[in-house]
Amino acid sequence: MISVQDLSYCFPGRTDEALRDVNLDIAPGEFVVLTGPSGCGKSTLALALTGILFRQYDGQARGTVQVGELDARECPIYDLAEVVGLVQQNPENQFCTLTVRDEVAFGLENRRLPPDEIARRIDWALHVVGATHLLDRHLATLSGGEKQKVAIAAVMAAKPQVLILDEPTSNLDPAATADVLRTIAQIRAEAALTVIVIEHKLSFLSPLAPRLVRMAAGQIVADGPIGPGDRASPWAGRPAALPAPSRDEPPLVWVKGLHAGHNGRPVLHDLSLQVHPGEFVAVMGDNGTGKSTFLLSLLGLLKPAQGCVEVAGQDTRRTPASRLARQSAFVFQNPDHQLFADSVWGEAAFAPRNLDLLDAATTQWLNDALNRSGLAGREEEHPYRLSYGEKRRLNMVSVLGIRPRLLLLDEILIGQDRANAAFLLELVAEEVRRGGAAVMVTHDPDVVQAYATRVLFFENGTITVDAPPAAAFQRLAAAGRRPYLPRGWVEEMRR
Amino acid sequence: MKPRLTYQPGTSFLHRMHPLVKLAWLLFTTVVAFVVPSPWLVLGIVGLTGVLFLLSGLRLGGLRGLRLLVGTALLLALLQVLFQRQGAVLFELGPLAPTTGGLASGAYVGGRFLAVVFCSYLFVLTTDPADLAYALMQAGLPYRFGFALVTALRMVAVFEEEGQTVYRAQLARGVQYDVRSPRRLLILARQFLLPLLISALGKVDGLAVSMEGRCFGKYPTRTFLKTAPFTRFDGFAAGLLLVTAAATVGYLVMV
Repeated sequence: MISVQDLSYCFPGRTDEALRDVNLDIAPGEFVVLTGPSGCGKSTLALALTGILFRQYDGQARGTVQVGELDARECPIYDLAEVVGLVQQNPENQFCTLTVRDEVAFGLENRRLPPDEIARRIDWALHVVGATHLLDRHLATLSGGEKQKVAIAAVMAAKPQVLILDEPTSNLDPAATADVLRTIAQIRAEAALTVIVIEHKLSFLSPLAPRLVRMAAGQIVADGPIGPGDRASPWAGRPAALPAPSRDEPPLVWVKGLHAGHNGRPVLHDLSLQVHPGEFVAVMGDNGTGKSTFLLSLLGLLKPAQGCVEVAGQDTRRTPASRLARQSAFVFQNPDHQLFADSVWGEAAFAPRNLDLLDAATTQWLNDALNRSGLAGREEEHPYRLSYGEKRRLNMVSVLGIRPRLLLLDEILIGQDRANAAFLLELVAEEVRRGGAAVMVTHDPDVVQAYATRVLFFENGTITVDAPPAAAFQRLAAAGRRPYLPRGWVEEMRR
Repeated sequence: MKPRLTYQPGTSFLHRMHPLVKLAWLLFTTVVAFVVPSPWLVLGIVGLTGVLFLLSGLRLGGLRGLRLLVGTALLLALLQVLFQRQGAVLFELGPLAPTTGGLASGAYVGGRFLAVVFCSYLFVLTTDPADLAYALMQAGLPYRFGFALVTALRMVAVFEEEGQTVYRAQLARGVQYDVRSPRRLLILARQFLLPLLISALGKVDGLAVSMEGRCFGKYPTRTFLKTAPFTRFDGFAAGLLLVTAAATVGYLVMV
């Protein structure tokens, strides 16, 4: 079905090759998982298979890419689109219309199919992904998992022979991840097509027994069935990062009967808790249950509707966020939303400068931190020239420069490979050991098991589990929340 | 919180009316308000618009910015009353001598402003912009332009949310929105807009991949699953528009 021979590719303006002598043959009906660290060339290879790489970018290519009967390097994208469908990482970026019906119809209307045939295909595609009930919904009202299902249906409706999904679960909570991957299994069963999934979450995919193609630095470095080692937690076997905290010191965060929401829509209901120095609190739960709203409330970026929040003794209702920012640092989900300066050094010093904290000691600390982050020598570069992982490291250096007591982290590990994630988590752990506290929203139970000292599990704006990780996982297992359990636990339950 | 000036879903006859018939009525009313210099006519349009607001289940008083609009209309009217000298003097108060001509002109200018704005509001609040875009494409607008409108509508909501995130990220890093000088204003604007611009470029890339990957632009025309139904009521409204337009042209020629 697919034959890639000696493919190399270099993006315009770059000297290093994104793909290097890639050879890959995929038979009809095969289920392939492409995996590897960030920036290793997985998405570039997917773009090559759709022909988009050769039409939209003016880079230099060598080698051949054959998809069915078509030469992907020469064939127009429209013709390849009849054979290959690509579902991108973020469904928000690929929606072209406003409603589910229009979105699934979009590609079929462009192919000038008659309306009755379009209606039949919409019904079929939504049925295959298990989303028939969403037909009349507006896209803006869908959850992350529902959006991803609609994005898949929109591509499936054209009945391609090859379906490529680029990290379809990276923005999803564990429950939605399991749901989308079940959908992929269902598609394979019902539509009998070749499926290529770019994915890091191998433990979720292992029951589907895929062929695993591993990439690194633009090359394929391993190709074979998924093995037991791929199912293991990347953090397995390491000692606990942090000791159990003592609660003798006064709390750093004190939440008392907090109700909060957005534009009059209530999200959080009557939350009360304390966070003490030395705690690494992991916040888990389905998308839309109030985790990010909770973090925003802790920095006073969202004022309570009822109740109050005190951070280091300061009431967020009466203290401006810019003053609270002297004690607390907030790292948001998307690195690109928090780069404001013209240079790497300017970015690192951005928060300390705004808060008048840029003295000699801070400058020294920032230089050391840039050095540890692998950004030394690049201080004059524009931050937007950095890779995704480097931008995230710079985000962390920038907020830690003010030496905050409280770290608020909103899904900072999305799209980060193991090495980068480990670096970021060690930075956080250092701050906690130094006497600070961290509150981190994350969907990765393995990370929670390895680093957190406490778990808060959110459901419908309330905290239903508040316990140390081991006890929290036991309660989540009892509640049937299996996707939220670490890999070791899942294996244990299987046995 | 008062509703934003965007489409408010509903089932009234105006909500159900064909978007192009509604658009034609809006254009006609706007033209008439400018070419027929009658204060009674524009005030009549304002009154009729108020009735249509009620019939559509919309609260005119609930609109954002209503006070500013009415204040602007009153200011426009007042300027005419104060400085228009035609007609008989109504009374004198120091240097001020309002005239009957000034009063009529004030009512016309202020009323015209309100008539045009309220009619536009009524159109925006009762018309799903996507339905309008699809109706325009089916009426012959090249579909590339039509989808430029549809994707822009999608992106407005996305960027509103992203703008909020960038603003919060800046507050969290100690940025203070204190505009002390034009230079400071420029710096703040650049720091706010740059992340949004970078994000927009990424989204355009993703959207282009998605559209081309689904054969957008393969053929000069496309089919449409959804068609805006042209009902008997739409036929009546369109006919009424033609008759009214003909009568207005006749009136203008005779006058």
